[in-house]
Amino acid sequence: MDQSRRSFLALTGSTAAAIWLADVDALLAAGRHAATADAFIVFSAADAADIEAACAQIVPTDETPGAREARVIYFIDKALDTFARGQRNEWVKGARLLRSKAARVDRAARTFADLRPELQIAVLASLEKDKVPFFQELRNAAIAGMLASPEHGGNFEKTGWKMIGFDDRFVWTAPFGWYDRDA
Amino acid sequence: MPDHVHLSLPPLDQSTVQYAPDDAVDFVIVGSGAAGGVMAKELSTAGFRVVVLEQGPWRTEKDFVHDELKIWNEAWLTNDFRVSPNTFRATAHDKARVQPAILYGRGVGGTTVHFSANYWRFREIDFVEASRTGAIAGTGFADWPITYQELEPYYTKVDWEVGVAGVPAPSDPPRSKPYPMPPHPPKSTGVLLEQGAAKLGWTAHPAPLAIASTPLPGRGACIQCGLCLGFGCEVRAKSSSLVSVIPVAVATGRCEVRPDSYVRKIETDTAGRVTGVKYFDARKAEIFQRAKAVVVCANGAETPRLLLNSKSQRFPHGLANSSGVVGTHLMFNGGGTSLGVFEHEVNGFKGLVASRVVWDLYELDPALGLVGGGGFDYRFDLTPIQFATGDGLPPDSPRWGREYKRLLAHNYTRTIECYGHTSSLPMPTNTITLDPTVKDAWGIPAIRMTYQDHPQDLRLYKYFTDRAEDLLKASGAVRTWQRPVESQAFSVHLLGTCRMGNDPATSVVDKFHRAHDVPNLFIVDGSSLVTCGRGQPTMTIQALAFRAGEHVAGFAGRGEI
Repeated sequence: MDQSRRSFLALTGSTAAAIWLADVDALLAAGRHAATADAFIVFSAADAADIEAACAQIVPTDETPGAREARVIYFIDKALDTFARGQRNEWVKGARLLRSKAARVDRAARTFADLRPELQIAVLASLEKDKVPFFQELRNAAIAGMLASPEHGGNFEKTGWKMIGFDDRFVWTAPFGWYDRDA
Repeated sequence: MPDHVHLSLPPLDQSTVQYAPDDAVDFVIVGSGAAGGVMAKELSTAGFRVVVLEQGPWRTEKDFVHDELKIWNEAWLTNDFRVSPNTFRATAHDKARVQPAILYGRGVGGTTVHFSANYWRFREIDFVEASRTGAIAGTGFADWPITYQELEPYYTKVDWEVGVAGVPAPSDPPRSKPYPMPPHPPKSTGVLLEQGAAKLGWTAHPAPLAIASTPLPGRGACIQCGLCLGFGCEVRAKSSSLVSVIPVAVATGRCEVRPDSYVRKIETDTAGRVTGVKYFDARKAEIFQRAKAVVVCANGAETPRLLLNSKSQRFPHGLANSSGVVGTHLMFNGGGTSLGVFEHEVNGFKGLVASRVVWDLYELDPALGLVGGGGFDYRFDLTPIQFATGDGLPPDSPRWGREYKRLLAHNYTRTIECYGHTSSLPMPTNTITLDPTVKDAWGIPAIRMTYQDHPQDLRLYKYFTDRAEDLLKASGAVRTWQRPVESQAFSVHLLGTCRMGNDPATSVVDKFHRAHDVPNLFIVDGSSLVTCGRGQPTMTIQALAFRAGEHVAGFAGRGEI
């Protein structure tokens, strides 16, 4: 389902519209979606919000930016429309899995993004422990979204590269590091 | 984003002569990589009419990108497992499963486009090690029919005509000429290796690399971009066949390079002579190119596959395979890797892969009871995604979350891999055969690999892993760990599968690379190797190709084909 920027913002700003549309999931998602609201190609707003929340536990935002600020969710959305087209279903199911797990640890939670951070971490840890294939996919996609070239939709303003100290100048002269400073 | 750094080099000429398929050219060469490129140059400059068939596209530096996702996702420079799968099993008793086991360059220039360009010569011992060591059960360990001395002039041709930078080390085998270019700077990895080696009583030498350290005609010097392994060079500094020998072949006006040409079969007549090559063009139309002789340079996996797929009434077990040796004695090289984290920034991601090497264990003390030997380098060839998804952090690290993020941020610039590159033994049971059921997208039977490392080799790999860790500790690493040693199931070195020898019963080609069974068929690539050296086979593959080119041109000139 396409979420145009306009309807996304309309939902955010208008409870009436939301009730009208009876899309409570989208409403909840809209309130929590932190990245600039560009259009999603593949994800529904609700799925995007939950996947983004999960990615934000893989690479959290602390003193420095994380998956959210790197716009990893847009990387995944774009990937599912391009080189990872064949995996769309797995991600829709994955978002559903996150929601059902969320409801199990907190009956009040309508979405994964709703959960308190420590419960989000607990849900992901249990998926990892149970070797649920979607967890590995989520983890790898979150990391790729941090570190792949920004042209793929993530690594916004080179957030991921700055995080690890990689620099894409691609022309270097000595000294390359601390140990060859006198070489 | 400065995705490209390009010098204003004159464009590489891709306008080749065009031969008609019915025109029986002097030579069809299958493959345009390390060996195919050299053969194309040698035979066309000797005056022969040559067609080179390359399965991949003809890209140049203007097409190359620094985009790890594109490179790996799209198999952009390499064989595409999705359309050309293989199967793997450890032994003939196991069921072969579809899983990637080989990686090679797909495109004009072959694997030389994306390799790290470590150009170690083999040494005298590599050609006679079997007789020095004695027979080893379960192996086909054998001496070469040629010696280092016979190959030396051709190693020198590689240095000068392909382009190798370095400086002779005291332990080097004899050389007839110096290197044409000085060595590259050490980087922090090289300085640390020098310090660690000295502590252990060893010496680190500048690594011989097929990367220009000074500008060459039509080629730039290395700009230390940092994306070498896995990527094409954007300034023509890496001495790939694409920028070194193929332009020379094209310039003769006698060599036609045909990209996007997927060879399926070598045809023969009732007299048992090769008549040409059947291939699919980019539109999957089948074309038969006639030729007076064929040179197969498709690599140690694809070459035996092509021969086995070229069965006929006269050659029921595959072409040039009366011995049954085609596809056997597959070797990968081996090795052991340890990693270390250092206190200060190493920034291994900047610059070429390996700047210094340690050869003190090239040959081992017999008291150790190990066979073979090897050499070490320090490197950091992990791209950001590779590092972060699993290859770079210590094994006990969290795999996500705050602490994971902190480790990534701290370790990426401070981690070094110490690679111990070693020999591995040729075994008749390690093979490339045709899978009985799996086919590629063209309907051709796929490669089935059967491979298990010899117990002797696994001991050798462990020894080198331990020494690699010793080196890192001696260099002052804050923390070190080992990559586990296990039998290999994947390789980029594909060697030994059409071995060279004097006896037609135990080898596929003679010492001039002519198939024992077929007078006008030559095989020149990693498959020719009798032993695999110490982990860096490309320079030897190219030296063999220069030598073969000279002899094959001589045979053709004298009407002896």
